[in-house]
Amino acid sequence: MTATVEPTSPAPATPSVLSTRGLTKSFGGVHAVRDVSVGFLEGKVNGLIGPNGSGKTTFFNMVTGMIKPDSGEVMQGERSITRWAPHRIARLGIGRSFQLCRVFPRLTVLENLLVAVRPTSLASALLGAHHAPTVARAREILARVGIEHLEHAEARDISYGQQKLLELGGVLMADPRIIMLDEPAGGVNPALIERIATLIRELNAEGRTFIVVEHNMDLVMNLCDHIVVFDRGRPIAAGVPAEIQSDPAVLEAYLGV
Amino acid sequence: MPSASDHIVGTGVARTRDRGVVRIIKGVVLLAGAALLVSWPSLAANPYLVSAGVVVLNYAVFASSWNIMGGLTGYISLGHAAYFGLGAYGTALLIQNFDIPSFGAWFLAGLLTLVIAIPVGWAALRVRGASFVIVTIALVLVLALIFQSLRGITGGSDGLIVPRPFPDLLRPEHHATFYYIYAGLLAVVLAVWFVIARSRFGAGLKAIREDEDKAESLGIPTTRYKGIAHALSAYFVALGGGLYALWFGDLDPIMQFSVLLSAEVVLMALLGGVRFLLGPLVGAIIVGTALEYFVLNFGETQLHLVATGILLAVVVLFLPDGVLAGLSELVARFRPQATSIREMTAEELQNQRVSEVRPGSGVDADPTSSERSEQELAPVERSPS
Repeated sequence: MTATVEPTSPAPATPSVLSTRGLTKSFGGVHAVRDVSVGFLEGKVNGLIGPNGSGKTTFFNMVTGMIKPDSGEVMQGERSITRWAPHRIARLGIGRSFQLCRVFPRLTVLENLLVAVRPTSLASALLGAHHAPTVARAREILARVGIEHLEHAEARDISYGQQKLLELGGVLMADPRIIMLDEPAGGVNPALIERIATLIRELNAEGRTFIVVEHNMDLVMNLCDHIVVFDRGRPIAAGVPAEIQSDPAVLEAYLGV
Repeated sequence: MPSASDHIVGTGVARTRDRGVVRIIKGVVLLAGAALLVSWPSLAANPYLVSAGVVVLNYAVFASSWNIMGGLTGYISLGHAAYFGLGAYGTALLIQNFDIPSFGAWFLAGLLTLVIAIPVGWAALRVRGASFVIVTIALVLVLALIFQSLRGITGGSDGLIVPRPFPDLLRPEHHATFYYIYAGLLAVVLAVWFVIARSRFGAGLKAIREDEDKAESLGIPTTRYKGIAHALSAYFVALGGGLYALWFGDLDPIMQFSVLLSAEVVLMALLGGVRFLLGPLVGAIIVGTALEYFVLNFGETQLHLVATGILLAVVVLFLPDGVLAGLSELVARFRPQATSIREMTAEELQNQRVSEVRPGSGVDADPTSSERSEQELAPVERSPS
């Protein structure tokens, strides 16, 4: 192993709102994530970067319950949420977006948001339509992400950039405390990247914690308060953007120096 | 006809009047159709036509019940014949062995099937796509084998005679009576679908149909939702099967627990359009009538099987959303100043393409937001009308 930095507990001045202990996952012979123990800081924009195939998305999927780890723990505060079903994790107030953007293609833009609202009971879900205040809140969120004029369009008919905004809107509809974004700037134009970055800053200012996987280094360095770097399924560095930029292990992982 | 996903709120002012006209036409067509359905037994020239009507309604109940799961969650089950068979045999066996009155047995058989369907659904719905289809096929085949081999109870391949609920009725009246019972059950099933499709539960089911992982990540308990939809669907299919037993009076495992029966019903639902309340009914009328015609005229051959297969291929390839979707597109195309939602968004997309820079050509990025550029460019892009 060339990497020697040991970022087991990255600068825990503030408590970790979400953390992992020894999280491990293999697919066949591929060690996608190996023994990862990291923590994410409450109220901050946490960055998660690394070369392609370094295990970021697998890590994301384990934290949100989409795939089960081989071993290790996922902790929300002091509580273990390892192997919880994804919808239960979502209901704890942990929202996520997907790499390559996923929306419900044949639901309208407005419906895409409304499905994210948790009904109070199964009976009310079975019989009731959406309440007017809920619909109003969905419209507010659409306005906030800037696609309110498209509310009746089917999601498959709007542009990719608009789908990205819609996906973010859907995440917001559940009012999460922690928002995990998998490549929010992937495949969108610079103007839209700026818009998404502004949204993230505003939402962060409201007290929401962000965990962002991203390849766009300008965005990461501008946006994030704290960054964890993955390489070959392991964290190799952690720190504030300035530290990461000058870290030799990071440079080696990215540039192969 | 109301579709599964146009229920949230009315659209823009410009479209309201246009929509009103369409709504009136739809209403007239619906009323005429309902009147024809209700008066069919008195219009039909002979008892055979009434019994053919019962067959079609039986298919319609089956397909509409199937659609509670198939249409809303997108899980295509070829196994619902299992529930049809359980409902039919359950009704017959309860009458024979426990002396329960016919319709009491029918009701009980429905509940028993519901109870059986819950664990079956829990197991089967763990897999998706082709695997799910195969599991459901296996369910039918296994039950067919069981009911064939339990000769002491079910009569095996010799069949099972079901006591008639109305022994005093002559054949024509027997058919007419069951025609109306089936029509009542169909009304209930359609009402259930209608309510679910507009509920938040239904919204969750549709989210599962579109992207199950995404739905789960938004907090929808997908396993529970799918299970409920499956059990409800199985329950009404079983009620249809029980009615069939009471009406037809003779059961055979090969005929009841038949993958072919499932496939025909799926074809009906797909042909009519699974996203529409009345899609499966329309499909049942088309395919059910065609099947009767083929059996009547080419009963010796297997031609109806060939026709079913070809039709299924044609529907999947050319009418993936069914004839009702095809019809409404046709209506939209011929409406004067037609501005369906689809066309509006196509226009918007075009405008977008002008203003918004595609990924990869970032240099000449237009910083205007999409809605502003849309307003600015709309008059230029819109074709003169």
